[in-house]
Amino acid sequence: MNAQADAVIEVEGVVTRFGAQTVHDGLSLQVRRGELVALIGGSGSGKSVLLREILGLQRPTAGTVRLLGTDMWNASDDELAATRKRFGMMFQEGALFSSLDVAGNVATPLLEHTDTPAELLPRLVNLRLALAGLSADVGAKMPAQLSGGMKKRAALARALALEPEVLFLDEPTSGLDPITARAFDQLLAFLNKDLGLTVLMVTHDLDTLLSIARRVVVLGRGTVIADGTADAVMAVQDPWIQSYFSSRQTVSTATDPGRTAQADGA
Amino acid sequence: MAEAQRSCWIEEHDGQSVLFVGGAWRLSALRKLSQQLRAPHGVLLGVARQTAPAVIDGSGLHDIDTAAALLLLDALAEAGGDPATVALRHFDPRHGRVFEVVRGRFAETAVAPARHRLSALADIGKKASDLGTLLLGHVEFFGRTLVELSRLLLRPHTLRVHELFAQLGQVGVNAIPVVALVTFLIGVVMAYMLGLQAEKYGANIFVVDGVALGITREFSPLIVATIMAGRSGAAFTAQLGTMKLTEEIDAIRTLGLSAPQVLVVPRVLALVLTLPLLVFVGNVAGLAGAMVMSNLTLDITPQTFMERLHVALAPRHYVIGLGKSPVFALFIAIIGCRMGLSVSRDTRSIGINTTSTVVQGIVAVILLDAMFAVIFQELDL
Repeated sequence: MNAQADAVIEVEGVVTRFGAQTVHDGLSLQVRRGELVALIGGSGSGKSVLLREILGLQRPTAGTVRLLGTDMWNASDDELAATRKRFGMMFQEGALFSSLDVAGNVATPLLEHTDTPAELLPRLVNLRLALAGLSADVGAKMPAQLSGGMKKRAALARALALEPEVLFLDEPTSGLDPITARAFDQLLAFLNKDLGLTVLMVTHDLDTLLSIARRVVVLGRGTVIADGTADAVMAVQDPWIQSYFSSRQTVSTATDPGRTAQADGA
Repeated sequence: MAEAQRSCWIEEHDGQSVLFVGGAWRLSALRKLSQQLRAPHGVLLGVARQTAPAVIDGSGLHDIDTAAALLLLDALAEAGGDPATVALRHFDPRHGRVFEVVRGRFAETAVAPARHRLSALADIGKKASDLGTLLLGHVEFFGRTLVELSRLLLRPHTLRVHELFAQLGQVGVNAIPVVALVTFLIGVVMAYMLGLQAEKYGANIFVVDGVALGITREFSPLIVATIMAGRSGAAFTAQLGTMKLTEEIDAIRTLGLSAPQVLVVPRVLALVLTLPLLVFVGNVAGLAGAMVMSNLTLDITPQTFMERLHVALAPRHYVIGLGKSPVFALFIAIIGCRMGLSVSRDTRSIGINTTSTVVQGIVAVILLDAMFAVIFQELDL
């Protein structure tokens, strides 16, 4: 099987400019079916922008983006509509529809895009909730009644509604406590392994990277500055990458410069 | 090829009934698959239904997703089979994994009975009790605002001058164009409609009497107050609601500031101070509109119009019209602020509360106006 046919996401030579500011400068990236890829980079390195460009939400200044074989910025509306049914996106704050309860949120794509028999629909919604790690009774709750972690799970359930081939996640573990975050990681690993979903996520969470991401892509200076397993990326000699991976260590071992100064004064 | 059309069938093998599944079992084909499984002619729940199969054979399966696996288990359970013990054979490992994922969660997908819905009568009762709670809350908030205002009298330096002037600009100055335009047009329409009737009796000049009384005493205060209920009342709710949502109000509290003092008092004062001024603008614009129309259609020159105005318009009508407006303003501002502060922590309730503010504001203005009409009638004013 050649690599070209197997590629689910193909980003080629993408340039993004906001006014005078260049975010991406000829960025290229390929993701193959079944991969679990984490996208990292400093703030302002254009991770979320790249995600939005892949999803067809924001037009790059130049370059092509192909998702599941569809050129997202030159395809017809029909092609786009067909492609949109084949991937799921979990937004950072969940982006649940606040006027619908959780079950309604999960049922929306099913009602719009499939002719699921009415008697099976509630069960299917519950299955989606269960896959996202929520119990069925959460379905009756309104998004405003959910905690941060539950919101993310409900958003994941909605993203999984149409049996997507690719799952995009923007900061899936941000704002979650470590226990919930690790459980979320396990969930993503399971979806990737057992259901064969291709997963691309933007994350800042070191634990996620080290535990489940089989490939880490680092954005910086408008392009991909490192790409590989977490270990391989860690070995790359780049100031940002080095300080990123050593940040946890630095915090626990470094002395607080403020306190040292105080001690000197005392 | 008939075989390609068949996604499922049952065969007897070694005394066991085996469910064969084949083809693509996908979400997109769910309805078709469901029909083949279930009544009236389905293999599991059809009329000629056999004992539930204990084995599922997946040798012909091209593809299966979680939704289709769920359908299979659901139909099997409905036919009396046991999803937990049904055996799989000749499944592609990938398909088997998907099937096991769903089977492992099948119990969790059980649908709870639909929640009890309120009967119509209970619904009316609940709505009435909600309305009572809302009004009670308004009264409480009204009282708290009055306390805050009286505190301001004792300690004038606590007034947020900057915020007050910002609000005066937004609520007052920026509203002048729309207020002037609407009341001008009302003046035009009134003069025209009254003129049509008065002309029949050659009583053109009395149009001025009618317009002067109508505009200054009723229409200008009522219409300007309605505009402000929509414009400023809604703005107060949206502003304070957003601040509540983004925890700005909590921040104000934790910084030791008083939310009513910082947010509510300047808004209430701004509206109470500006509404009479806007009603004045409305009076002038309305009379100007009537004057233009009288000149065009009734042959009343602006000079005659002004002279008649001096005779016909008793100052008390004018004062009553202006005097009503601060009361309208107080109610609009209090409703607007209170609905903003009572936004619950989701975006949807900002929309709900803003709509509610406009409705409540307009109803309050019209109710107050009716009460004023009765009171002034009794006082022979």
